[in-house]
Amino acid sequence: MFKNEELEINLGPQHPSTHGVLRVKLRLDGETVKHCYPVIGYLHRGVEKICENKTFFQGQVWTDRMDYVAAVSNNLGWAEAVEKLLGITVPRRARYIRTLLTELNRISSHLLWLGTHAMDIGAMTVFLYAFREREEILDIFEAFCGARLTTTAFRIGGLRDDLPPGFEAKVRAFLDRFLPCIDEYEDLLTENRIWKKRTIGVAPLSAEDCIAMGVTGPVLRAAGVAYDIRKAFPYAAYDEMQFDVPTRMEADTYARYQVRLEEMRQSHRIVQQCIDGLPEGAVMAKLPKILKSDVGEVYHAIEAPKGELGYYLVGEKGGANPYRFHVRGPSFVNLQALPMMTEGKLLADVIAAIGTLDVVLGEVDR
Amino acid sequence: MQMTPASMTIVQTLVMALIQIVAVLAFIFVLVPMLTFAERKVIGYVQVRLGATRIAGGRTGLTGAINRFMWWMGYFPVLSFFRGLPTFMADGLKLVTKEDIMPAKADKFVYWLAPIICMVPAFAAFAAVAFFPGVLGHFPAWVPVVGGLPVTGYISNINVGLLYILGLASVGVYGIVLGAWASNSKYPLLGGLRSAAQVISYEVPLTLSLLVPVLLTGSLNFSTMSVDLATKMHPLAIVPLFIGFFAYTTCGFAETNRVPFDLAEAESELVSGFHTEYTGMKFGWFFLSEYTNMIVVSALSSAFFLGGHYLLPFGLQNFVPASWGWFAQPHLIFFLGKVGFLLFVFLWVRATLPRYRYDQLMNVGWKYFIPLTLVNLFIAGVVRFIA
Amino acid sequence: MSLLKTLIPFDIAKGLALTGRYFGRNFFSANRKKVRANLKHITVEYPEVPIHLAPRYRGRLQMLRDEQGEIKCICCLACERICPTQVITIEKGRKEGRKLPYPVRYTFEMERCIFCEFCVEACGYDSIVLNHQFELATYNREDFAHGTEGEFQNMFKPTPVGTFSVAGEDDANAPHY
Repeated sequence: MFKNEELEINLGPQHPSTHGVLRVKLRLDGETVKHCYPVIGYLHRGVEKICENKTFFQGQVWTDRMDYVAAVSNNLGWAEAVEKLLGITVPRRARYIRTLLTELNRISSHLLWLGTHAMDIGAMTVFLYAFREREEILDIFEAFCGARLTTTAFRIGGLRDDLPPGFEAKVRAFLDRFLPCIDEYEDLLTENRIWKKRTIGVAPLSAEDCIAMGVTGPVLRAAGVAYDIRKAFPYAAYDEMQFDVPTRMEADTYARYQVRLEEMRQSHRIVQQCIDGLPEGAVMAKLPKILKSDVGEVYHAIEAPKGELGYYLVGEKGGANPYRFHVRGPSFVNLQALPMMTEGKLLADVIAAIGTLDVVLGEVDR
Repeated sequence: MQMTPASMTIVQTLVMALIQIVAVLAFIFVLVPMLTFAERKVIGYVQVRLGATRIAGGRTGLTGAINRFMWWMGYFPVLSFFRGLPTFMADGLKLVTKEDIMPAKADKFVYWLAPIICMVPAFAAFAAVAFFPGVLGHFPAWVPVVGGLPVTGYISNINVGLLYILGLASVGVYGIVLGAWASNSKYPLLGGLRSAAQVISYEVPLTLSLLVPVLLTGSLNFSTMSVDLATKMHPLAIVPLFIGFFAYTTCGFAETNRVPFDLAEAESELVSGFHTEYTGMKFGWFFLSEYTNMIVVSALSSAFFLGGHYLLPFGLQNFVPASWGWFAQPHLIFFLGKVGFLLFVFLWVRATLPRYRYDQLMNVGWKYFIPLTLVNLFIAGVVRFIA
Repeated sequence: MSLLKTLIPFDIAKGLALTGRYFGRNFFSANRKKVRANLKHITVEYPEVPIHLAPRYRGRLQMLRDEQGEIKCICCLACERICPTQVITIEKGRKEGRKLPYPVRYTFEMERCIFCEFCVEACGYDSIVLNHQFELATYNREDFAHGTEGEFQNMFKPTPVGTFSVAGEDDANAPHY
């Protein structure tokens, strides 16, 4: 009669809060998670292999579709990796505009994270408030490159076009409005006792564990490691920017929430500097008609909103496309830590943990 | 209190009761869909969006005319809020006409029984709720059978009315647990277990907070209590009544499975909890009972703590001089206004707060609300002693 | 002090005040003549109220004709070659009274198009654009096929190309919607 049975449930791939098609196999003892096993691959398209068959120019559109909420960051990584392989120098104005758009994209990605994470924990309204601001950023992207999500924003060697007329005014209007909006989210969440209870001490991942699992990004910084590629190995125009790398020591969900909010403020700072100090000049480097690589390999990592986004490219002699292409996606690597964060905790914490890792399944599965 | 006049025959009593029941049921059946509409619109407006603005159908015919009219409403500030009002009828229609799907491995009888167990107590609770503590008016003399008789603001004036309501409120949870179990599915099972634990542990502070009015008035009769609490209280009674209001309303949120205590149907964790496998009108009964319970909780809260049918809450009505005229008298509209405001608070809170975790919910119940309500009961005792 | 903080939920009141403020402001002032900056509500009542697209918006691929009504495309196949998803197929041919090559068949399979605008970028003759059409959903797969001949004459559908080519100062400064 008193049989002690464990309940095995599938969280996903169709579930309101697995952010796409993540499937998590859970073995539950009551509400306690005994075993957690993420199953991925439902969105696999073989982006790496496809890109090996596309030219360097064409490859960029596939990076849009990996981490689709941070497409500009992905574009930047691809463009810079290829430029590194081909030895192209990008004009300074182009680098500034790239930095500007990438930071706006970081804000938009963090806003999406904040909205969905809060929604998972039950606070509905933050989602809509966050999307209100995200909408404006997407409008800015639309004004710049014509698309809102799959931007294909940059070109190898610079940018396709200069900023459209009225772009600066738009960005400045957004910047003026944005900081009070962060305060609004904080009003709803930061002090709230339920939010604190749901996040403080939930899904902890110490610095040692983070490093052992290869976890990067806000999750790592919330564990007290001030590792930010923008500071460590500056790319684009980050070496000319003033900004801080926010860290927390608590290594829990609440710390990650604080780190990301602070990162949004820092991104706001960087965008402000970019728009104020925008240099004049060309936006496109002089390029040969057809891009041909030489023998060589590069690894170029950027700080995507979710962590270290690395592109590994191998070039062959006279090749118009990469011989080998590999992506080190932050979502994929971060997702590894999910079992470590949730085993022995409660079911509701799994939801919080998935939210706090900020995974995008397009990038996990690639 | 006025009881049913002894001069009424049995037939007259029954007909009178029937009329009242039909009136109250009609009231609920209109109010609940309106509440779902209000939920869409209130949450929509909080979230700087519009909510429902139009109904299905084309640009022609009746729906087209309605849609065009609602489009015109959108040009005016407050009127704009009431766009999409016909959706409440559309929602009801949808629930009734949807296909009824039953899982193959479900326990058929229990699966069918559960929504009823959930719904009947929710409706039955209204038998003891006094919408107005006295006579609302008289039937005109030409009405057959009941002509000239007084219409009371309550269906029945039970002497242990509060006990009756509390008893019914705790039956409702069986519907949730049985429904969850009968679905023979994993998410509903988890939702049902959560709900059982939650409702049982919040029943204690709920009852303890309702003991304050009972202690202060020395009665369990709904009408007597609401009148006495509004008008015959010692000035110090405001303290226990205020704390009691806070505790009761919060526990009421838990009792009705609303945010921030909606663990049983936490959609981000359990898909939709105990009614995941329910469709059509069976789901509709669960839905209806949840909203009806919200109305019951609001009615109790406003009757006992917010001064009920009088203007001022927490026994402050004492200080209203008779010279205020209309405002010094009890009115049905005051009561309904307070119920409406509390229902709005339900929606407002839903739009604002995150959800507790299962163990935290238990902690809050046992370690925060039970001590609070116990202390409050003690304060009420002191007040009663002084008075 | 901390006991007081626990007993009296100021934190929750703060959140409620914010949402309540939004509700009140919207309830008493929201109407159709809103301005985005005032933050009444951000919903666009889309089919009735048109959406303001940016001048660079990337919509459906459209072929252009010159002043004489001739197809501008001269079949250099640059778009076909650059397209990352290979949705463009061109059949090169000749036409009476035209010196330049003429696209006998220009097929554009829109269901696979990713709207990257590489084709327009590659075109040296400005003969194609991505226009501002975004209501592209149809009920049939066949409707996605676009061409120039026979029943597929939809590559020239009248579209607001004018707003595309004249990206004025006004256009960019206008409110969002």
